[in-house]
Amino acid sequence: MKLKYSLVTRRTFLNTLFGGWLFAFFSGTFYALMRFAFPTLGKEPDFVVLNKKDFTDLANNSIKRFPWGGTVGLYFTKTDGSVLALKGVCTHMECNVDYKPAEKKFYCACHQGWFDENGRNVAGPPPKPLEVFVITEEGEKLIIAKKGVKVELPKA
Amino acid sequence: MNCPRLKDWLEERYDLNAIKELAKGKLIPEHRWDLWYYTGGITMFLFIIQFVTGMLLSLYYVPHIDFAHKSIIEIVTKLNMGWFFRSLHHWGAQLSIVFLFIHLFGTLLTKAYRKPRELVWVTGFILLGLSIFFGLSGYLLLWDERAFAAVRVATGGAGAFPFIGWFIKAFLRGSMDVTGDTLVRFYAFHVAILPLITLGLVGLHLILVQAHGMSVPLSLEKEKRREAPFFPNVFYKDLAVWLVVAGVLATLAVFFPPEIGAKADPLAPPPEDVKPEWYFLFLLQTLKLFPGSILGLNGETIAILLVSGAILFFFLIPFFDRKSSRGEKSPVFTWIGVIYLLYFLTMTLVGFLS
Repeated sequence: MKLKYSLVTRRTFLNTLFGGWLFAFFSGTFYALMRFAFPTLGKEPDFVVLNKKDFTDLANNSIKRFPWGGTVGLYFTKTDGSVLALKGVCTHMECNVDYKPAEKKFYCACHQGWFDENGRNVAGPPPKPLEVFVITEEGEKLIIAKKGVKVELPKA
Repeated sequence: MNCPRLKDWLEERYDLNAIKELAKGKLIPEHRWDLWYYTGGITMFLFIIQFVTGMLLSLYYVPHIDFAHKSIIEIVTKLNMGWFFRSLHHWGAQLSIVFLFIHLFGTLLTKAYRKPRELVWVTGFILLGLSIFFGLSGYLLLWDERAFAAVRVATGGAGAFPFIGWFIKAFLRGSMDVTGDTLVRFYAFHVAILPLITLGLVGLHLILVQAHGMSVPLSLEKEKRREAPFFPNVFYKDLAVWLVVAGVLATLAVFFPPEIGAKADPLAPPPEDVKPEWYFLFLLQTLKLFPGSILGLNGETIAILLVSGAILFFFLIPFFDRKSSRGEKSPVFTWIGVIYLLYFLTMTLVGFLS
C-alpha cells in the first residue's frame, strides 16, 4: 500500500526499518567481538637500560645479546675494539640473526641473508640494513636507544 | 547387529525406512578414474584420527610459554602411550595434508569442480586453507626453536601484505612479536576455533557431495558405465582403504617419531638448517626468487601479492572455466592444472633438497 504523498510503500518502509535494525545489531556485535579479539598492542621500546659491567669485558669480534622488547638486541665489539649496538632481527622476515666471527658478518639462517660489520645488508634477500642503536653511558648504566629518541630516565 | 526390540522401539518413533532407502539408492559410478573417489574419504578418516588424538593430547598439554615445551616432553616420556599418540597426531597431520593435496589435484584434473559442483570446490578449498593453518598453529604449540622461527616468518610474511598486513599480523600474534600471547592465541585457534569451523564445513561439504552425487569425468560422461551401490559395496572398499591408511599411519608413528627441538628462546638465532614444514616449502622457494626490492618497491610485498593472486585464481577456477561448465572439453584448464601441480612439486622438491 502506498499513501498518496508517500515516497515509499509501507512494505518498503518496514523492510528498511527491520533490515536497518538487523544490520545495526550485527555490525555492533561484530565490532565489539573484533575489538575484544584484537589485542592491545605493546610498543617497541624507545630505549633499554643495561648494566655496564655485563658488557665491558666483551672480547673483540663477538656479540652479547640483550632483550629488546619482545625481540633481541646485539651488543657488538668489532675486531678493532669499537662497539656497536644493533637490533638483532633480520629486516627480511624477522628471524633472529647470528654473528659469524670467521666471516665478520651477521647471518640470518631462515633465508640466508648476510649483513656486514656495520649492519649493512650485503647478500641474500634482506631489503634494509639492520637497525643501529645509539649507546650512551651513564654511571654504571648503559643506555641503548633508538636513533633520534630523547632518553628520559625515571628519577630513582 | 540384531536387536529386534530396539529396532521396534526406534521404528515406532522414527521413519527408519527413509534412511534405508537413501543408503540403498546411493550409487557410485565405476570407471577408470574412480580411484580419486577414495581420496576424500581417506582425508575424512585422517581428520577423525586427528580429532581423537588431539582430544587425548589436550588432556595433558599446558598452553603456557614456560610449560608448553616441557609438557610435550612429559607427554612423550612419562605418560602411558603418550609417545604413540603424539606421533600419531604428527603423522596424521602430515598425511592429512598429503591427501588433501591429492584430493585437490584429483578434483582439479578430472574437472569435478565444474557446474553444478562449484560450492563443493569452494568448501573444500577453504578446508585446505584451514588445515594449513591447523598445521602452523599446531606446530607452534611445541614451542621449540624451529616452530618459533617458522611462525615469526609466516606471520611476518602476512604483515608484508599491503594495507591490512599489519592488522593480520597483530591479530595472529596477539602482540607486536611472537610471544607467550601468540602461543595462547594459536592454542585457541588450534583446539577450539578451527575444529568447530572445520566440523561445520566438512558437514556442508558432505551434504553437498550427497546432494550432487559423484562427479564423472567429462571424457567418460557420454559412455555407458556401470554403477555400484554405495552400501555395502563401496562402503566396504572405503573401510578397507582406511585400514591400509591406518596401518601406514601407525607404522610411520612407531618407526619415525617426530623430534622436538630445543625450547624456543626469543634471544637466540634459529638453528642453521632451519626449514618450515614441507607444505610451506613451495612458498619459501617462491619468496627466495624475489630480490629485496624491485624498482624501489618492497620485493616481499610484490612476492606476497603475486602468490596471493595465484592462489586466488586457483580458488576461482570453477568460475573461470566456462567451457567445462558447459560440458565441453577444456584443455586450457587441464594445462593450468598441470602447471600448478608441477610448480608445487618442483618447488617443494627444490626446497627439500636445498
